[in-house]
Amino acid sequence: MASTITTPVAGNTAAPPPAQRVRNRPAWASQHLGTALIGAVAGYAFGHWIGNVIGAGYTVPQSNGENDVAVVLGLALGALGYLIGIGAFNYPLAKLIGREPLPEVAEEGWQRYFRFNLDHKVVGMQYVIVSLLFLFTGGLLAMAIRTELLNPTNHFFGAGTYIAVVGEHGTIMMMMASSVVIGPLGNWLVPLMIGSRRMAFPRVEATSVWLFSAGYLVILTALPLGGFPTGWTGYAPLQTQSTAGMDSYLVGFAIIGMGMILAGLNLGATIINYRAPGMTWGRVPIFVWSVLATTALLVFATPTLVVAGLFGILDRTALTAFYVNEHGGSSFLWENLFWFFGHPEVYIMALPGFGIVGEILPVFSRKPLFAYKVGAAGMLGVALLSFFVWQHHLFQSGINPDMRPLFMLTTELISIPTGFIFLVGLGTLWKARIRFEPPMLFALAVYFNFLIGGVTGVFLSDVPVNVTVHGSFFVLAHFHYTIMGGLIFAFFGGLYYWLPKMTGKTLNRKLAIWHFWIMFVFFNLTFFPMFIIGLLGQPRRVFEYATRLQGLNDFSSVSAYILGSSFLIFAFNFVWSIYIAPKRAESNPWGSRGLEWQVPTPVPHYNFERLPVVVADPYHYDEPDQGVADFGTFSEPALSEVAAPGEQVPPADVQSPDDSGDLDPRPPIV
Amino acid sequence: MSRGARASVAGMLFAIAVGLVVFVAMAFLRTEPPTVDLASGHQAGKPVDLTLQTVGSIGYGIHPEWVSYLVKDQQGKWIHSTLWNLPAHTTVHVTILQYDSGSPIRNQQRGLVTGVGGAMLNGKRLTNVNSYEGNGIGHTFSVPSLGINVPLVGVAGNAKDFCNVAPCTMQEAHNTVTFTFKTPGVGQYHWQCFVPCGLGYLYGNGGPMQTIGYMDGLLKVVA
Repeated sequence: MASTITTPVAGNTAAPPPAQRVRNRPAWASQHLGTALIGAVAGYAFGHWIGNVIGAGYTVPQSNGENDVAVVLGLALGALGYLIGIGAFNYPLAKLIGREPLPEVAEEGWQRYFRFNLDHKVVGMQYVIVSLLFLFTGGLLAMAIRTELLNPTNHFFGAGTYIAVVGEHGTIMMMMASSVVIGPLGNWLVPLMIGSRRMAFPRVEATSVWLFSAGYLVILTALPLGGFPTGWTGYAPLQTQSTAGMDSYLVGFAIIGMGMILAGLNLGATIINYRAPGMTWGRVPIFVWSVLATTALLVFATPTLVVAGLFGILDRTALTAFYVNEHGGSSFLWENLFWFFGHPEVYIMALPGFGIVGEILPVFSRKPLFAYKVGAAGMLGVALLSFFVWQHHLFQSGINPDMRPLFMLTTELISIPTGFIFLVGLGTLWKARIRFEPPMLFALAVYFNFLIGGVTGVFLSDVPVNVTVHGSFFVLAHFHYTIMGGLIFAFFGGLYYWLPKMTGKTLNRKLAIWHFWIMFVFFNLTFFPMFIIGLLGQPRRVFEYATRLQGLNDFSSVSAYILGSSFLIFAFNFVWSIYIAPKRAESNPWGSRGLEWQVPTPVPHYNFERLPVVVADPYHYDEPDQGVADFGTFSEPALSEVAAPGEQVPPADVQSPDDSGDLDPRPPIV
Repeated sequence: MSRGARASVAGMLFAIAVGLVVFVAMAFLRTEPPTVDLASGHQAGKPVDLTLQTVGSIGYGIHPEWVSYLVKDQQGKWIHSTLWNLPAHTTVHVTILQYDSGSPIRNQQRGLVTGVGGAMLNGKRLTNVNSYEGNGIGHTFSVPSLGINVPLVGVAGNAKDFCNVAPCTMQEAHNTVTFTFKTPGVGQYHWQCFVPCGLGYLYGNGGPMQTIGYMDGLLKVVA
């Protein structure tokens, strides 16, 4: 067994020193969500005042009565105040002025979910809540869109309000989808799956979730500021012409982008450096592979969005001309920069979904994951190729026509590694005795939905088809099939699968199955007619349409309402099963071989009493007697042997598990 | 805490969430300007009067600096709206009181009068406006789907009695443009100003130019 231990894990045992001085302020006086919100309001007011001082004397604010400098500074300093209020800067600021920060103590109880907490499991649950807030807000806006489209000529909203609602819906959903798996499940599960006691950069991780929630608040401000007319893509020059709601879009996306970069850096560093002994690359769970591939996209693609957004902000405030054609800039620059991020973003959303499904299928089919290495390679292939396809979004937007075949080819090429991932799933299901539990139902639905989304995607990559259906409901149906039909179904599959471990509570199975069937049936009834509506010529983002399309639109709208109600079933189940009438979950209710299921429920603060020595990949369901990891023989002292009763943390100077005798060079978490 | 108490807390939070949703919907999403009804009481075969004014800055509301149209309702009161109910297949006598200044425009085609009958400027026949002459063109009244375009000649920007806050009065500097057109069948027809007059926005096309209630609106033709 010792010969299999090849993974360097020197930092894996790192843990805080014994707490000597602790915070002894009462809960109400310490930093939490309330102080964060106070900080946000104060920051906004201060930023707005500064902006007025700077910008009020200039011609533009005097002409249109709108001071974008004040709005942008208000939002940016509001977000900064929010982070200061939650305590994200306590540690670095203390270090900066040469003081030793107070160590954090492991906190129990529900209050920890409203604080700046360094436990990856708490951060994961914080991400769950914020992601659900995003999802429900975006979902309500979707209901508003479908309500407007009930009738082609009688309107529920004004045209301007409608496009503002569409833009808000799209942006909120895209922001949510960029982190909906990586945030909640990636943060909660990755250390457990790779046998680590912690993340590489817990503060970076905690900062990312609070940036995520700050982004949510900022994008919400777009509505009272008048919305933005560009949809989620924010195209210039409309972006530069728009009213103050556009500032919320640009600042919000920049904040979310920074959170994504931080989350990607932390998760990537953790996966590379914090694997347990024996957790070789050939044994890394497929979900972790998907997260690793995604972190590469987060780190390399997202900075483009942040910088592109900053250019837009400068155009609107400092009157630079990055996107102003007449002044030497190019509105086409935004389109390129946006989609250079935007297409990898599609895979930032899709890959973790595939990873979830890859974890669920073997458990409920009791078979090894078919062609595991092909699946991992497919994910890396998709991640790599995703940087070479962005111009297919611009086939109709001024691209050099000679470049179209190249990007058609690269786009069609990406269907090959995607097909690998698909075949891995189908191979796993082949001749399996499937248990149709809620997570499995959602996982199977991902394959059904993504097949439709994927095939129509191949059509759309083809220039003649793309030119024909560009900007129509066909495109809208396609990406809803891939993102909602793929990612969101996978997300719910993952929640039903892992929530018993994450919360220690069992969700109601009957309600879960009701949720699935209503969501699956009415998702398809909502979005499949949109392919037809699009082929018949209805454009996106327009609130009036041909009267002959009313029947199909009404069918889609009514289906959408029922689809929306399925989320209420989930919400009820979640609140009922976890808060109102909780029922304790078994520690491994699905009989999974995953490392994360081998620890007790609730999971201990530092995950593993002893660091596991991994001896096999987690998919050997054909060899039920083979263990996954050795939890008892590793020479490192157990936490209980080094921590005094009542102490939450072990000393940092435990030996590294590669037995080299090196001490962990990294500073402890304090 | 008992199960009932927990259920009450959850129910209360849910009620707060629903309240927030309703508040947002009503406060921010259903804030369209009112539709001014010029169709009710209309006798078949009789024409309808539509009286409008354009002002350089509306002077009140959330965008007091924005240029805007206003409409006179059936009681003779000026309303800040660009949504008008008009009866179908009816002749509409339009009077536009233009209080804003003008300038040369980029697209000279917008200086042509099209799609309407009997266009007059201050009592003189109006067919074409050269925007490089006089005070130039301030705005247009254009309904693309009906082929309508009427240029509105600007007043002198330095006029002593230049109107700064709406609604402007007949004593302040203005040009009067009149014309007629016939409404088509029932439906909604988008109209807007085609002179980039959104001062302070890139190319002049932002802000009021994109916002219903200012330089952008709907002819709601009803039975």
